[in-house]
Order: sequence, then C-alpha cells, then structure tokens
Amino acid sequence: MTSRRRLFRNRHGRARWLALITWLYVMWSLLPVLVAVRISLNSGKSRSTFQAPSFRWYWGDPTSSVWHDDSLHSALWNTLRLAGLCMVIATPLGVAMAIGLQRWRGRLSRGANTLMLVPIVTPEIVFGVALFIVFTQVYTGLPGGLTTQLLGHVTFTMSFVVVIIRGRLTAIGSQFEEAARDLGASRFQALRLVLLPMLGPAIFASLMVVFATSVDDFVISSFLSTGASTETVPIKIYSGARAGSTPALNALATVMLLVTLLAVVFASLVMRRMRAHGDTSASLSGITV
Amino acid sequence: MSSTGAVQIDPTGGRPPRTTTWAGFALPGVGWLIAFFVVPVYAVMAVAFGSVDPILRTPQPAWNPLAWDFSAMRSLLDRVFGGDLGKVFVRTFAFVFLALAGCIAIGYPVAYFVARKAARSRGMLLALLVLPFWISYLMRMLAWTNLLQQDGYVNQVLQWLQVMDAPRNWLDGDWPTVVIGLVYGYVPFFILPLYAALERIDGRLIEAGRDLGASAFRTFVHITLPLSVPGLLAASVITILPMFGDYYTNSYLTSGSPRTEMVGNQIEFFLRGSSQPQTGASLVLVLMVFLFALMVYYLRTTMKAQRESER
Amino acid sequence: MRTSRRQFLARSAQLGVLLGAGIPLLNACGSDDAASGSQRTEPIADGLEPEKGPLRIINYADYVNPDVVADFENKYGVKVEISTIDTDTEAVAKLASGALKVDVHHSMSSTSIGNLIQGGLIQPLNGTYFTNRGNVLAAFDDPWYDPGAVYSVPYTFFGTGIGYRADRIDPAEVEAQGWDTVWNATAFKGQVSILDDEREAFTMAMLRAGVTDINTLDQAIIDQALADVIELIDLVNVKVNIEGYKDIPEGTTTIAHTWSADLIAGAASYLPEGTSTDVLGFWHPPSEQYVVNNDSMGVLANAENPVLAHLYIDYLLDNAVAEKNFSWVGYLPALTKLDADFVIGAGYVPENLRSCVPTNDDIGNGLKFKALGPEGDAQYEAAWSKFTAGG
Repeated sequence: MTSRRRLFRNRHGRARWLALITWLYVMWSLLPVLVAVRISLNSGKSRSTFQAPSFRWYWGDPTSSVWHDDSLHSALWNTLRLAGLCMVIATPLGVAMAIGLQRWRGRLSRGANTLMLVPIVTPEIVFGVALFIVFTQVYTGLPGGLTTQLLGHVTFTMSFVVVIIRGRLTAIGSQFEEAARDLGASRFQALRLVLLPMLGPAIFASLMVVFATSVDDFVISSFLSTGASTETVPIKIYSGARAGSTPALNALATVMLLVTLLAVVFASLVMRRMRAHGDTSASLSGITV
Repeated sequence: MSSTGAVQIDPTGGRPPRTTTWAGFALPGVGWLIAFFVVPVYAVMAVAFGSVDPILRTPQPAWNPLAWDFSAMRSLLDRVFGGDLGKVFVRTFAFVFLALAGCIAIGYPVAYFVARKAARSRGMLLALLVLPFWISYLMRMLAWTNLLQQDGYVNQVLQWLQVMDAPRNWLDGDWPTVVIGLVYGYVPFFILPLYAALERIDGRLIEAGRDLGASAFRTFVHITLPLSVPGLLAASVITILPMFGDYYTNSYLTSGSPRTEMVGNQIEFFLRGSSQPQTGASLVLVLMVFLFALMVYYLRTTMKAQRESER
Repeated sequence: MRTSRRQFLARSAQLGVLLGAGIPLLNACGSDDAASGSQRTEPIADGLEPEKGPLRIINYADYVNPDVVADFENKYGVKVEISTIDTDTEAVAKLASGALKVDVHHSMSSTSIGNLIQGGLIQPLNGTYFTNRGNVLAAFDDPWYDPGAVYSVPYTFFGTGIGYRADRIDPAEVEAQGWDTVWNATAFKGQVSILDDEREAFTMAMLRAGVTDINTLDQAIIDQALADVIELIDLVNVKVNIEGYKDIPEGTTTIAHTWSADLIAGAASYLPEGTSTDVLGFWHPPSEQYVVNNDSMGVLANAENPVLAHLYIDYLLDNAVAEKNFSWVGYLPALTKLDADFVIGAGYVPENLRSCVPTNDDIGNGLKFKALGPEGDAQYEAAWSKFTAGG
C-alpha cells in the first residue's frame, strides 16, 4: 500500500515537471510570434522594441505599408495564387496516385512508391538547384516565375498528399467498396460514391497541408523567382533581413499568418461536419513509422 | 475477406485489368515526378559533369554520360577530403547533431507528456503543437531575430534576470545562435512524429511493468524508452534531413559570418554568385551521397511500415 | 530480391542513356534563351514613341531613390518594377540563363560589361534619346571597359576604404594605421565587417601588403591575401556583408571595409534620431592606391521596352534628378556638376565626410578592377570559397 502511494505521488510529481516543460515549450514556441505581431503594430521604425500602437505598417504609411507598397502586396498576391493553384493541382494528382499505388501490385508499383517517397527526404536545396537547372537548361520554353514556381511546388507537395491519403485508405480498408460492389456497383462507381466521400476529411487535410507547405516554401520559390514581380512573402521576409527593413515586413507576415489561420479554422469546421466516422490520427501516422 | 460463406466471385473476371486500371491511376503522378524530379536530378548531374560557357559563365550540361567530365568533381572531392570544404561539412554535421540533441532534449519530454500524461488538455496542447506548422518558418525566424537584436527583449530579459550585465550581440555570427535557431525552427517537425509514435505504445505493456513492481522510472527506462526508439529514430531522420541543406537559417541569423557557414551556403555561392556552376552542382551531388544512407534508412522503414499496416 | 535489384540497376542505366539522348531533343523543342529571338545587335531607331511598360529594372537593393522612381512613373504614366540582386555575378548569371527578363540593367560593374557585350546581352545605345548626355563627367566618355561608350552610360562612381564610427575610434588612429585598422580592431571584436566581394576583400589585403597590381593572377599573391583575410575570422570575428551603409550609423558595426558612398547614404538616411553626422568617418588610401570604380546603366538586348529604357537612363542624367537621387542613395552620380564643393555646399555631404567624394585626381590616378577571364575568376572564387568556409 505504502509503496503504491509513493508511486502515485511520484507519478504526479514527475508529471508536474513534464507539464511545466511542455507549457514552457509552448510559450517559447509561440510567444516570439506574438511579439513579432505586436511589433507589426509599432508606430516607429524599430523592429526590436515596441513604441506605440498604430496601423501604420498595414495601411497608414503611404509608401512602405503593406497596402501601399506594391512589392509587398504583390508578394502577398503571388503567395496566395501559388498556394491556391498548387492545392488544386497537387491534391487530385496525389489522391489518384495514392489510390493507384495502394492497389497496384507488383515490382513497378514498389518502384513508383519509392519514387514518391524520395522527395519527402530530399533537402529543399537539392530541389531548388535541380529545378533551377532544369528550367533554364531543359524545359526552357516555360514562362519563368509563377509557372515554374508552381511546377516546383506541386512536385514538392504531391508526396505529402499521397502519404496522407494512403494512411487514410489503410485505415478505411476495402470492406466498404467491396460491399458496394456486391450490391452491384461497378468499380468506378464504388470508388466515386463510396470511397471518395469517405476520404473527404483526408482530402481536406491534404489541401490544408499543401496550402501551408506552399505558402511557407522559400528555397524553391527563391531559386525559381525571376525578379520583383515573382517574389513571395517568404522571399520578401528573407531579403528584408539584409536590406533596410521596417515593421512592414512583420505586418506582411502577420497578414499571411491570419490568412493561414483562417483557412485552417475554416477547414477544420468543414472537416468536422464531413467526418461521419470518428478516427483522428490517421493523417499523422502516414508520415511516421 | 468474404462477405458470404461461399466461393468468392471476382466480378472483374481476372487480375490484369485491375492492375492496369490502378496503375493508370498512379500514372499521372508518376509521370509528373519523373518529369519534375528525376529529370532535374539528372540535369544536376549533367551540369556537374559538364562545362561552362567562358563568356557568360552559364553552365553547359553534358547530357550524354559518355561525355561526362569529372575534373570539377575531382577537384571538389580533393577540397572536401582534407581540404577547406571538409571543414564546412564537419561544421554542418556538428550543427545538425547539436540541433538534434537540442530537439530531443526539448521535444522528447514534451511529446511524452502530451502522448501519455496530459489527459485533460491534450486536445488543446496538440493544437498548440501543430500551430507552428501553420506559421511560416521565416516568420518564426523573423520573430527570433527581432528578439535577438541588441536592444531586443532577449537581452532585456537576460539583463533583468541578471544573467548578463551588458547587452550581448547575438547576431554577430557565433554558432550558438545558429544552433538555437535551428532547434527553434525544426523542433515542431520533430515533436509531432514522435508524439504519434509515443501515443501508439500499448499502455498495457507499461501497466504490466508497474504491476510487476518496477518503479515509474524503471518502467520508463526499460519499457517505454526502448519501445519509443523506432519513433525517435524516424522523427530524428525526418528532422535532420532537411537541416543538412539549410542555408537560410544561418545566413538570416548572422550577417554573413564565415564561422557559421554550412554546406548549403557554399552550394548557393557556387550556383548563384560564381562562374563555376559545375562546382555547385557537384557539391549538391556530394551532399546527396552523404545523406544517402539516412535517406535509404528512412525509405526502408517507411515502406516496411506501410506494408505491415496494409497486410 | 537480388534479381529485382539487378533489374533495377539495368533499368536505371537504360533510363540514363534514354535521358541522355532524349534531352537534347527536348532542348530543341524549347525556345533558346540568351542568344537568339528578339536579340538586338543594333541600336533602336530614332524618335520612337515610348512603350506602355511596365519598365523592368535589375539593380542592387536600395540603389535608387524610390521617390525618383515614383516621379518617373508619374512623368511617363508607366509602372516600374525593380528586381534586386546581391552581387554582380548573380546578375550576369540570372540574365544569361534567362531567369530574369528586364529592360534596364541599372548597375553593371566595369568588370562584367565586357562579358555582357561579348555575350550579346546588352544592346548598343541610341544617343539621340540622351538629351542630358552632356552632363556626364568627361572622364567617362571613352571608358576602358566600353570604348566609345557605345553600350553604357555611367551611373555612379565610388571608392573603397574604411568606414568607421568616429566616436569610438580616433580618426587620427585610423589615418595612421591605414588598412591595419581592420586587423588591429580586436577591441571591437564582432563589430568589424568586410565587403562580400572576392575582388574587394582580397584587394584590401594586397594593398595592405604593398601590392598595387590588383588584377594579378599570381597564385602566390592571391594565397597570401587569402591567408591575411582568413586571419580576420579569429582576430575580430569578421562579418561579411554589404550593409555598412546601415550598420555603421546604427552602431552594430564599428569598422567596416566599405564603399565611400555608404557613409554618405548612412549619414543621409540611416542615422537614428538625434545622432549627429560627426560620429561617422571614412578613410581611403592616397590616390595611387585608391580603388575607384563605377557602375553603369545599360539596356538589355531582349528588352521589351527599349525606348522607355532609354528615356529612363536619360532621366537619371538630369542634374536635378541626379541630385535628388544622390541625396538618398549617397553614391555620387558621374555628373560634372556634382563635385565635392557642390555637394558639401548644398548640404548633402557633411564636411567631415569630404573624403567620401572622389576627386578628379582620384578618378584619374586611382586603381581599377579589370576583367580577369574565366581562369582568373576561378582562382579568386576558389580563394573566396575557402575563406567563407571558415578558413
């Protein structure tokens, strides 16, 4: 009895330390971002200390604010355009590939599966260099900037979609489709009417992951950018560290953050409504052992 | 799996059509990956083993493997093994493994807590752990540089806590700033896979250990820790692979210091700021070879897990 | 398993050969990049109407006054887009590969104009559009890098020296030590920077060692310069960037190997509120060892808006516009009117920074960077890569 009570007390004690570490970590992870957001509301030029609140860098300042500075809001627009198009292209390709890979038997299938996994483990700089070289030496007919950046983003994000969808496919299993086929549906009807709706939440999750990955991409966009009109928000933030910069950069990053958060909130609301059968961690388990 | 007890009838009438249909589903993706991944990697090789236009310094790739010129690669390898570039590789490895140690030190307790201990606040903690994914990496670095300015909050807090008496210049090119920056940037990518793996450990095994009389600590060391090793390895690999090619974290956090130069910076210099793109391309290939073992390990374990879960 | 691996290897070898054969075909299908199409080898005709824009420009960051650009936009009713690059080599690489399509190259360096001309990337200029050509300093009528000034118009000129905080180190000390100031700056560890440019950095070491042939290809001299620069890593924890114009006024750098104009720009735009320009100082070697360089403007051969490009260049040659630009950028335009007395008299340059304005003697007798050719460039770049790798 006594030893168990001591164990019980130990468990609580240790969990308290772990809890402390965890909450400290969460604060360390997120507070700097809150500080950066606060600085975006700075009325002065300082990027390190907060002076007084104002929306100067959002729309107030007539030359440098996000609203007025052409280069900043073209970066914003480029980022959103790229991410949107990437979602629309990478997700269907990825879903089809996931379904195909899971059911295709044979050695070629395993080869294709390996091919699909390699981009996940390839460092981005390799991607950036390879794509830069290929678009300037091989596929030279393509218009630079948005088109090549989009092609690069889709290549990079497609594998994430496949992994997420495959995880979900495994969890779903084949019984629902087989039941539909037993009831007389053709293979494609079973796919369209039974499997795809069940994949709904996973497809939505993939859309969000593709969106977030594309919005955050720096290396590929930077290697394939053709100048000021094809810069994205990450590129602007990065080059802002070198050249003289103002809190307008923080404002730009905050706007992007808000857009992403809104998208996530929207997506999770939609997903909650879509989810008929409960199953939570399928999307994570796809990328891990 | 048969829904009736009787002989299972295959409505499609045989294997071949099914396989080709599903292969057809995967084909667009495979074609895309070949066009925009395999061909570009081959293009890197062609540039690495090609030549350079003497006037404009543009690369002239050699597409035919028989015409490949290995001299740039050879002189590069000379510099890597026993030359100055070897130092850059060593430094890159050092930074990455130090950052990994930091990630494990911070990430393991957090992942363990959220996976196994935090019953009530798990949902919220998970949301907070996932949040950094949705925040742009560069914005988090921007936030970090704001804090590390000479008159920024880090110096102010440290002075207030009386750990230091004068503001320290964090951004002048010392390796601790870079390592802390890497940890800060990559630890969210480490925690989530680790959390998923830790969550999947069967709780009954741990209970069994406790029932048999082991203390909480011994149970952790002898049961939980070994069971978490595969997850730990996977999370580590998936975190350090991108870190090796990172060149923007250190150049963002230091205004260009030779003491913190990583392989990625050298690649960027040769490919964008020099007249020898073939050296840059060769360096990319060398990096890939160095990372090959890690990549293969990851691919094999992932595919094994896929096959097991689909059986 | 063994069979499949062998088959895999065999298949990838086949794939390699296929790719090797197939890609030149692909190449033929795509459009060529730099050397054909709408390349211009002759100047445009006289008296054409300006195009609609947008006018695309490639330039260094913060190298033209945004107000000046805005005024040009208003005057001609067009939009201007500026793409920034960090180094000159980057610019040439991007233009040559077709990664960047622009109309005006705002800042061609004197060492790469030759390559740009030879590679057919810039077009000969039509002087009839340059109503303000007469304002340009006579020294640039027939520069060594562009005989007859056919392809280029000078933009700014500047010298390389040491910028420093006069409130932290005594100007007399800097005068006495010369280049050694950088190597002796152990008291300012972490606050010393050198230019992110392989020629400039090694030239500084060469001049310090007494070598005046700054275009040498002698490997021994380059190696010695490399060794000297590498010393700085441990001596003063040296930073490598081109941000002296911002860092010295803001105080994060005390001693910077930088360009003369950086101090002027710093004094004009980057000093914190309430700080006097007296805190800034600049030193340069005597005329015979002073590296004086200039950037030039040109029009790209495949420019879509060549007339507008010409008009933009002419616009910057106007004295009033150049003055307005100078007041923000700090780099002296190559115009006769804007000499030291004028700019100091007009208050653009404080008297204590007189040394930042190269004199006619400096331009005449100063040292110049020449183009080195591919092997020479490779030598310097290899040395630079060794330095940035940490020595």
